[in-house]
Amino acid sequence: MRAAAEPQADDLILSIREVKKHYPIREGALQRVVGHVRAVDGVSFDIRRGETVGLVGESGCGKTTLGRVIAALADPTEGGVHYNMDGMMSRIDRLEGKAARAFRRNCQMVFQDSFASLNPRHLVIDLVGRPLKVYNEATSANLIERVVELLEQVGLGRQHLYRYPHQFSGGQRQRISIARALALNPEVIVLDEPTSALDVSVQAQILNLLNDLQKERNLAYLFVTHDLSVVRHMADRLVVMYLGKVAEAGETQAIFDSPHHPYTRELMAAKPDLEADANVEVRGLEGNVPDPARPPRGCRFHTRCELATPACGWEVDDVVRWLEDAPGMFEHLVGVERQTDFAARLAFDSEEAAGLLSMAVRSEQVPEAMRAAMRRLNLDGDKVEIEFEDVGEIGLTARDDGRMAACVLSPEEVASWKRT
Amino acid sequence: MTDTSQSRIDAEGMTADTAFRVRMRRLFGVLQGLASNPATVIGLVIIGLMLAMAIFAPWISEPNSPDPYQMPRDWGAVRKPPGTPGHLLGTTNEGGDVLYGVIWGSRTSLQLSLMVVGSTMIFGTIIGSIAGLVGGWVDEVLMRIVDVFLSIPELIFALAIAAMLGPSFGNIIFALAVVLWVKYARIMRAQVLQIKQHDFVDAARVIGDSKLNIYLRDILPNAVTPVTVQATLDMGNVVLIGATLSFIGLAEAGIAEWGVLVSEGQAGIASGRWWASTFPGLMIFLWALSFNLVGDGLRDALDPRTEGR
Ligand SMILES: Nc1ncnc2c1ncn2[C@@H]1O[C@H](COP(=O)(O)OP(=O)(O)OP(=O)(O)O)[C@@H](O)[C@H]1O
Ligand code: SF4
Ligand SMILES: [Mg+2]
Repeated sequence: MRAAAEPQADDLILSIREVKKHYPIREGALQRVVGHVRAVDGVSFDIRRGETVGLVGESGCGKTTLGRVIAALADPTEGGVHYNMDGMMSRIDRLEGKAARAFRRNCQMVFQDSFASLNPRHLVIDLVGRPLKVYNEATSANLIERVVELLEQVGLGRQHLYRYPHQFSGGQRQRISIARALALNPEVIVLDEPTSALDVSVQAQILNLLNDLQKERNLAYLFVTHDLSVVRHMADRLVVMYLGKVAEAGETQAIFDSPHHPYTRELMAAKPDLEADANVEVRGLEGNVPDPARPPRGCRFHTRCELATPACGWEVDDVVRWLEDAPGMFEHLVGVERQTDFAARLAFDSEEAAGLLSMAVRSEQVPEAMRAAMRRLNLDGDKVEIEFEDVGEIGLTARDDGRMAACVLSPEEVASWKRT
Repeated sequence: MTDTSQSRIDAEGMTADTAFRVRMRRLFGVLQGLASNPATVIGLVIIGLMLAMAIFAPWISEPNSPDPYQMPRDWGAVRKPPGTPGHLLGTTNEGGDVLYGVIWGSRTSLQLSLMVVGSTMIFGTIIGSIAGLVGGWVDEVLMRIVDVFLSIPELIFALAIAAMLGPSFGNIIFALAVVLWVKYARIMRAQVLQIKQHDFVDAARVIGDSKLNIYLRDILPNAVTPVTVQATLDMGNVVLIGATLSFIGLAEAGIAEWGVLVSEGQAGIASGRWWASTFPGLMIFLWALSFNLVGDGLRDALDPRTEGR
């Protein structure tokens, strides 16, 4: 076992730099690429020895994709994951031979679905002993003892060696997965929602186990979850993701004390209802997550943000989306001639409908910030010309206390906002 | 020193033994599943009898000619009805003993089905695995070929090939092998594509296991069920198609093969000599039926939703 907290020149293990992962969307008989799902769209952060980084965000924001890129199960479209090998940072997709094996051993993963991640035809001894066999870490003579040792570390024992995965409960299966991940004594483990399929009481046991193992072995965790309450006591630092990008990052406690991004605030308000069925979540967040193939311009969160300002990246799509929801409006829209994402001419089936829209977007019916962001609004017969300010991407900016957030508002403005 | 080597022996003994016993118990569970289905049991019994007949043919019905696969001719006893002493199931127009044909025909059928199913299963599994694992244009090309094969009805395709090669039982085997591998390729490809999505394959990749090991340990063992079921069904179907081809004259005349016997006996049916065709025909029916019963039973017994739960 590695000596705990060995003084190291650099305790950095992994450095994730501007990682993007785009999946092509194919259509038609020829399978032409018609667009890309921007599952992860430029994310950077570090993982250091012995710490837990919580990666949180709603379903579909790209957490699993990012976790898989970090565990080298998928290649990034752009950017890269760098691994600290004897003080040298090297991109993991460029490692070869011994170095590649060293990374492989040192970065393990535990999956959400404990049943799916264990081969149903393998016995526990095969499952947990497999990594040892791959690296010739155990002879056939001491394999059993090594596996028993690992099982005991996760709260199982010798009596479980010759059983199939389906003979265990979900919590026990997750323990088997953890034992397998520990077998090679890794530096870091990517935990992809390791407890979200479990009952609350079992969840707590697994979290405690993970905490104990971390202390014993100075492990680093990347803890992926959509449930903030789970990482609150697990993670030293948080990376909050929204639609493939980082919305906010910083120390867990500091973020819980005062979130600097409205999205984080909303996430924290959306606590899972413990009384109800564990699968049902009560959301404080309203509206749908936009399509990751066409993420909103400016701030990606502006379509759902209650604090949105005129500078948050209002665009033509916002008007179209508003029309879709407005009763009796959308069916009169016959076409959208788009010059840019920010300027377009909306064609209606009558001058009357066009007039109605141009009135509506000047009124209180649309969000105030959207109205204020409109640079031009021209009624021209049965067409309405609209134009918004061309706003660039609102990126992460450093805040005074070493935290990062991607929002035009100051921490004070976010903090002082009261839900109406 | 002695101590360590002793515990080593114990440890190994325990692995081999315990793991073996657990796996046997699982196999036993599958067998129990099979045994709980009466239709499957009937199928298994018939198959067992017919296999015994095929294996022990030289002892049950001793050949008296140099080529035992040729029907023996007894010109002194032509067109004898069933029950004739020495010719329990009667004789054919040429004095061939129908019982001999039935017994040695099972051996012919077993050879045919084993050779065809064995070769098509192995070849199809390899092709399907390559298509599913490699993907891209390789998959595209292989599956186009498979589609072309599948678009022609099996019987007609096999008939065309066998007819082109000339009448011989060996050509029937070859023709069937050419026609039938595509099913296994199709099944295996679908299995590989589906199984390779499973988290346990990713888990093996995270450990750093080799691609070959992942195929052999994770993908292949989880893909065998539908292949096994198909192979069992084909054991029956192949004999049916083979008999059809030899019935229409694509095998050598005079061999101990059920299809040939049915064909050669049919001339006598109008004159009331039903036995020369009926008994071999019944055998074809029983063979195909029993393997289909067992194939269906296997499908249920190996169903991943019920297996081992
Ligand atoms: N292999 C893939 N091909 C195409 N799109 C994909 C693929 N994997 C993920 N996506 C898409 O990428 C986006 C991010 O998915 P991802 O699974 O990473 O989200 P997540 O944050 O893990 O969500 P969840 O909480 O539901 O697990 C989703 O829109 C998803 O549909
Ligand atoms: S920049 Fe801040 S205020 Fe503007 S939409 Fe985004 S989160 Fe809301
Ligand atoms: Mg996920």
